[in-house]
Amino acid sequence: MKAVFTFLILISGIALHAQTRISGTIKNYNGEIISGANVVLVNTYDGTSTDSLGRFKFTTSETGKQLLRFTAVGFKTDSIWINLEGKEIVLALQLKQAINELNVITISAGTLETGDSKKGSVLSSLDIATTAGAVADIVAALQTLPGTAQAFGENGLFVRGGSGAETQTYFDGLLVKNPFGSQLPDMNSRSRFSPFIFKGTTFSSGGYSTQYGQALSSALLMESKDLPEKTTTEFSILSVGLSAAHTQKMKNSSLAIGGNYYNLKPNYAVIKQNVNWQKEPVDIQGSLQYKWKPSKSGILKVYGQYNNTQVALLTGSDTNPTHVTNTNNTYYANATYLDYLSSTWKIQGGVSYSNAKENGTVSINNYYRHSNLLQGRFTLSHYLNKRSLLRMGGEAYHSNRLEGWNNLSRGFGDNLQAGFAEGEFYFGDAVVARIGLRSEHTSYINNWNIAPRASLAFKAGKRGQLSLAYGTFYQNPDDSYLTQSKNLSPEKADHYILNYQYLNDKITFRVETYYKKYSQLTKYDFMGYVSSFGVYNYQNLNNGGSGYARGFDVFFRDKKTIPAGDYWISYSFLDTKRDFRNYPVQATPPFAAKHTLNIVYKQYIPYIKSEIGTTYSFSSGRTYYNPNNTGFLADKTKNFNNLSLNVSYITRVFKQFAVVYASATNLPGFKNVYGYNYSPNGENRTAILPAAKRNIFLGLLVTIGDDTFNH
Amino acid sequence: MKTIQFIAILFLISFTSFAQADKFTTAMQKGLVMIDSAKTPDDYTAAGNYFERIATAEPKQWLPQYYVAFNNLCAALLGKQDAETKDAIYDKAMQYVEKADALIPNNSEVYALKSYITFMKMAVAPQARAMSMIPKATAFAEKAISLNPENPRAYLMKGQNLFYTPEMFGGGKDKAKPVLTTAVAKFENFKAIGLEPNWGKNRAKTLLQQSN
Repeated sequence: MKAVFTFLILISGIALHAQTRISGTIKNYNGEIISGANVVLVNTYDGTSTDSLGRFKFTTSETGKQLLRFTAVGFKTDSIWINLEGKEIVLALQLKQAINELNVITISAGTLETGDSKKGSVLSSLDIATTAGAVADIVAALQTLPGTAQAFGENGLFVRGGSGAETQTYFDGLLVKNPFGSQLPDMNSRSRFSPFIFKGTTFSSGGYSTQYGQALSSALLMESKDLPEKTTTEFSILSVGLSAAHTQKMKNSSLAIGGNYYNLKPNYAVIKQNVNWQKEPVDIQGSLQYKWKPSKSGILKVYGQYNNTQVALLTGSDTNPTHVTNTNNTYYANATYLDYLSSTWKIQGGVSYSNAKENGTVSINNYYRHSNLLQGRFTLSHYLNKRSLLRMGGEAYHSNRLEGWNNLSRGFGDNLQAGFAEGEFYFGDAVVARIGLRSEHTSYINNWNIAPRASLAFKAGKRGQLSLAYGTFYQNPDDSYLTQSKNLSPEKADHYILNYQYLNDKITFRVETYYKKYSQLTKYDFMGYVSSFGVYNYQNLNNGGSGYARGFDVFFRDKKTIPAGDYWISYSFLDTKRDFRNYPVQATPPFAAKHTLNIVYKQYIPYIKSEIGTTYSFSSGRTYYNPNNTGFLADKTKNFNNLSLNVSYITRVFKQFAVVYASATNLPGFKNVYGYNYSPNGENRTAILPAAKRNIFLGLLVTIGDDTFNH
Repeated sequence: MKTIQFIAILFLISFTSFAQADKFTTAMQKGLVMIDSAKTPDDYTAAGNYFERIATAEPKQWLPQYYVAFNNLCAALLGKQDAETKDAIYDKAMQYVEKADALIPNNSEVYALKSYITFMKMAVAPQARAMSMIPKATAFAEKAISLNPENPRAYLMKGQNLFYTPEMFGGGKDKAKPVLTTAVAKFENFKAIGLEPNWGKNRAKTLLQQSN
């Protein structure tokens, strides 16, 4: 008995003193040393850090088979099993570069991200607000990005030879039917949404995910902000009106109420207008946002907006003008919910409703256009591992359109259902593929279609990547056609995109080339040229149209070279022709320019606490319809030039954060012409000019809440 | 006899658990000494690694997680790493302070540290991040104060954030001064419990001096 006891003491004594020495080096796969790496004998306190030469050594009294883990910031954690039996262990260890936001492979073909935290984000929300010439209009700021064209008097975002209607806007995944104000004769309206309510915007110039449909050219995905950090009140006094907003932060929720009143009359009284206004635009808007975070992972977002605008003007030739009025009432509301059902399942769902009513007169005639859309949508995502995932979902739209001309009226209703499924698969760190299908059924024209889409990206160097995208896209013909014919099919586009992107934390460089093939475009018979404003009767509506767009885009942004300065340059080359509407032949449409260039430069000057921004835009001449020319759309306007400047002076008013803002478009006064309107006999023509040669805009924005809250 | 056996077993159990606890305390104290004597970013990295080893072995203790976060923060704060590496280190720090938060919810020290890390992460790319991250850092500091109004580091964070936020964005030395004064006063009355955080006093004094 005693012997056994002594033996036990002996054993434990030996165990206590059986130390094993472990030493070695840690390098990366290029053979470069890694200092400050952690070497851990798992589940013990033993281990050490590598020194400046990547060496380590430590001793442990543990015995037997143990797991040795080694980690370093910027590298993937690795481990090996070692057997501790008192003999020194010498190791030559290697760590693999970790994937971070900047070097992770993503699908970049056709995708331009904007936002504050996202990788590869080309513009932040502040950029959108401070881009000279954009006057805090999201769509105007996006027009400085490659692949877009300047909107000349027509609503919309014009992408790679596509018309404005070919770009659809999505708010938290839900389609926005009327993202702009009313289309006026030869004048485009601002987008309805403030850039400040979104945390990020993905602007896709093609090849986008199967989650989105009903857009031939482009999807603009706007993602609203999450729960705000604090209670704030903001008000602005602008040369065009007033606006105010209050955000009340509660424990797990927030409520924001905002409103604005814009009246352009005083502004137009000072700045000479090319438009003969009878009643200058008056815009009244109210909005409501509610956000609720019931759990750590879930969030409910509700947004509602009401908008009323009124205008009256004289349009057409100076000698025989037409009096036009327009009143627009739009209600828009959406609600979305996002949550994780488990660590691998994510669910997103939402509903939206919009109701837009336009009424007005054209000389002695009354017209109206009413439309509404109810949409429901859900998406289910299943993560296969950290990055790869499967996504599936469905959506249903119920829409109505009714238009009238004096005592006549016509309309239609449609139910559209769509389902989509796609997978994003990562193969190691260097390759990612996205493959998916979207299918839609639309009741009114009784059509069922399937759209396959696929993208592939692979790494080209540490900071570069190459991406390819292919996709088929369908979009129902414009409402104004559907009100007149049921015998139509969705229009179709096929996209092929090749993209190279280089990215580091200060420089973004992208070059992208594409080919887009249009088919089944809507055609009709009509004498003369159809403008973007007006009610027409079309004969022989059919889907016999076709076309193409090809070209390349370059984008370069540099936040490094100029201290406190930042600039980007985007250039787009576009070759496009199409046969649609009442075109007799394939022709380049007036909304497409062969060369588009934008240079945006921003400089913060601490001495005067101001940021100065300037934007130069160029686009080569656009086609216009001249009845005297036997060639259709064979005439071209001269080149378009614009130089805008803005100054934001940051200061304090009544001890509150304030920005004084001044902006001027077309500072040098370039004489730009958008096109010409001809009289029916072709004898007289009137130039379509920008609403004003030069515009000046002043504002003061005050934010209250930095100091008043919590104390 | 059985009673004696029972007592012996009880004694043994309590002794081993005591020994275990003591091993943890000793190791943590050694780590705190490492922090006290740390001068270079590499020293903080080494201390961070040390606490990380303890944190791995003691996944239920919040303090090792907290100190991993703190030391990594200091390593990036003082170091000359490129922006990408700094981001990665701050992300690691945030990940560990979140672990601490999960182990001890609503702790003032944890929220004060979250505020610090958030603010420094903002400072890596202020042009892009200031708008969203300064309010976040401030909210963390405010929460730290509301969770424990006697925590001097909570005021230090609020004051420091104000100090480094430009005047026109609602910060500035004038704004920071009263908060830093409170911080310094709270530090005078502060007594750290056991292994709990006890840093920041000199920092508060230095910043207060610079606010004058």
